[in-house]
Amino acid sequence: MAADMRLPNIRKLVSLSLSAGDRRDLVVPGDVITSDSGFMRGHGTYVDEEKLTASVAGEVQRVDKLICVRPLKTRFNGEVGDVVVGRITEVQQKRWKVETNSRLDSILLLSSVNLPGGELRRRSAEDELTMREYLLEGDLISAEVQSVFSDGALSLHTRSLKYGKLGQGVLVQISPSLIKRQKTHFHNLPCGASIILGNNGFVWLYPTPGQQDEEAGGFYTSLEPISLSDREVISRLRNCLLALSAHKVLVFDTSVLYCYESSLQHQVKDILKPEVMEEIVMLTQQKLIEQEG
Amino acid sequence: MATVQVSEAEKVYILHGIRDDLRVDGRGCEDYRHMEIETDVVSNTDGSAKVSLGHTAVLVGIKAEIGKPRPMAPNEGYLEFFVDCSANATPEFEGRGGEELGKELSNTLYKVFNNKHSVDLKKLCISKGEHCWVLYVDVLLLQCDGNLYDAMSVAIKAALFSTKIPKVHISNDEEGGKEIELSDDPFDCMRLDVENVPCIVTLCKVGHRHVVDATLQEKACSVASLIISVTHKGTVTCVRKMGGGSLDPESIFEMTETGKRVGKALHVPLMKLLQQEESLGTRQKVGFLG
Amino acid sequence: MPVDTRRVRGPEVSQSPLLFACKPAAVFSSHGPRADGRQRDQVDVRPVFVRCGLVSQAKGSAYMEAGDTKLMCCVYGPRETERKDDTDMKCGRLTTDMRFAPFSCPERGSWIQGSQDKDFSLMLHESLQPALCLHKYPRSQIEVNVMVLENSGSVLAHAVTCASLALADAGIEMYDLVLGCAIRQDGASYVVDPTYAEENGNGSDSSDNQGRLTLAFLPSLNQVSGLQSDGEMTEESLSAGVRTCIEGCYKIYPVIQQALAKAVRRAAPPPSES
Repeated sequence: MAADMRLPNIRKLVSLSLSAGDRRDLVVPGDVITSDSGFMRGHGTYVDEEKLTASVAGEVQRVDKLICVRPLKTRFNGEVGDVVVGRITEVQQKRWKVETNSRLDSILLLSSVNLPGGELRRRSAEDELTMREYLLEGDLISAEVQSVFSDGALSLHTRSLKYGKLGQGVLVQISPSLIKRQKTHFHNLPCGASIILGNNGFVWLYPTPGQQDEEAGGFYTSLEPISLSDREVISRLRNCLLALSAHKVLVFDTSVLYCYESSLQHQVKDILKPEVMEEIVMLTQQKLIEQEG
Repeated sequence: MATVQVSEAEKVYILHGIRDDLRVDGRGCEDYRHMEIETDVVSNTDGSAKVSLGHTAVLVGIKAEIGKPRPMAPNEGYLEFFVDCSANATPEFEGRGGEELGKELSNTLYKVFNNKHSVDLKKLCISKGEHCWVLYVDVLLLQCDGNLYDAMSVAIKAALFSTKIPKVHISNDEEGGKEIELSDDPFDCMRLDVENVPCIVTLCKVGHRHVVDATLQEKACSVASLIISVTHKGTVTCVRKMGGGSLDPESIFEMTETGKRVGKALHVPLMKLLQQEESLGTRQKVGFLG
Repeated sequence: MPVDTRRVRGPEVSQSPLLFACKPAAVFSSHGPRADGRQRDQVDVRPVFVRCGLVSQAKGSAYMEAGDTKLMCCVYGPRETERKDDTDMKCGRLTTDMRFAPFSCPERGSWIQGSQDKDFSLMLHESLQPALCLHKYPRSQIEVNVMVLENSGSVLAHAVTCASLALADAGIEMYDLVLGCAIRQDGASYVVDPTYAEENGNGSDSSDNQGRLTLAFLPSLNQVSGLQSDGEMTEESLSAGVRTCIEGCYKIYPVIQQALAKAVRRAAPPPSES
């Protein structure tokens, strides 16, 4: 039995880069970005008396003549090709509704999943009846954004063996803006676990699978117990992710791995203590800077 | 209660982890998440405390008012509990959504304090049969992340510890009537003895084992839980089974045994912390920005 | 505050004369035999009288007497649920309501359901739910109403027993019957199935070990479906109390079984000759 009680401390963010106060590109709603009429109005802005004004709090981004403001704290705005992790909320006719941290529930059509055994054929009425056997309410999936509907809802697909239903593991939810866009979002970390960094801020940690069973087509989930050592690695990674997200550090494979390494001197359950968290994140950032420089 | 969805495979993962005494966040079965406690956070109360346990946050304010003693106990004051589940904590509490949970929580609190030793009610009596102090204990849930009962009871104990009830003097006037005079010196006040105030331990039965301080995900895997309120001496003041499942008699005995041990151990760091905060004097309060 | 918040409460205009009685000498003594001749420290439950099918309008009903504690229970449903917003439609919903008649206790109660009644209803709900096969009744609700006519102690325990009997009488699918039993711990000794005076009496003032315990039990599955205690008890006497209550439940089990069998026999059509 362990109960750690303490007085609260005022938290400060661990940051080695220039402090947020010095940044000129952060705006709040109503701030005039420019009064030059030569620019085009992008997301997060509006034109008031010929002045381009921000409508959200966030970071100004300029691409040629287009000015956008990207909100730093936001729900997930999906783009085609994004990798997402989501949870099934509803089974409907011919489609599943998926919660992906975006404004509207995303949709996974029956026609955009792989059939068990990798069969390629038109979906029959029989398939519609057995939809619940593939994916049930509450199940987690990894998928890719196939298209974006006009109202902003996302259409997903799992037509690749790397996508599909997720088995045993841990879901960590962090802010989508902390996920760094990369070539691949699937990583087998050398510490002994695998990670899916969903662009929507849902991160899935799971034990590195052994021999991939290709026959199952992504619908088979093993319910075999996972070894204690794997569990410990996953729990440590989970707490590291939460530490990174608490201190607003970009999350990608290297930062997660550095954070994991820095945390090794502490017990897994101690990582979430504020002072340990600060220490680990500080170490991680130092390592990241060293690596860059 | 705020609920989360958990898929079957995740449940299996959590279940096996608890079987191996390694929970998803690295804790053992009898470990609490780390807890932050601060007293005297609201100036308009006579005593207040804010407790956060993981992402669960509870604010307790205590107001002392002068009332009439209950006819059955003319020489005792009394406590009133009210738990508010605001929609801030989770959208499910919006409107009347939180009312049922609030009722459940406050009824349990009445049961927990329904004994002679938790709070010395006789000290709250001002004049027998006429005036007594009524302590209104108002609990506000700010955030829900599982284990409300434990966080709430710790917050109540901390708030009672910090409660300062002004001293009153009763003077008889010429006609034989009584007059109540409130001391205007803010330091002339009465403190409560909180040594015997119990703490609640919630034990969630998950698989064949039980865990303390369950997160919402673990709660979703559990069919039934037992709440036990324990004093520092290990006396049990209230036991209650919660949730839709049933429990084996054997596991009830195991759970009460664990509950007693954990509950007893919970008082030690709590009292130490409260005394430490008291001795620090006027420290800069962190309040709600932590 | 624990009262009906939607109403303005006027001052209480009347008080029970009991308050003015010259100190009712502690009716409940902590030594010697109990007022009704039962033995202390023994699993000596009051003889119970139960009968099913009291209210013909209800789907199922039961009446129960244990000493002077008298209560009745009606079960309505299963029928289509009223609350549509519930997302979990795969399971039936059980609603419980427990009320005290205003004249059931020594002091008059009010018709408005107080917070104590609500708490009893909740306990009743939690005690009954594990025994019901609610998954067999999707999208429907089952209502259980308990009315306490005379409160002479251990009401919740008997309400649980009575309600499970009424549910069985209504033909609701159940895994097991639910039986209730209560004890009152008083120092080193205890009384099973306490009367109102024993329940609310002060007992021996000196002792710290004062508590009440109510347990709901599924006898053939050997599972505890409800447990509630208040007061102060050591963990040892709590565990002992749970064991005692389980024993008490087994004592009334045959009576309940018989009453139910009798009700079934009465309802059965005469066996056809062919």
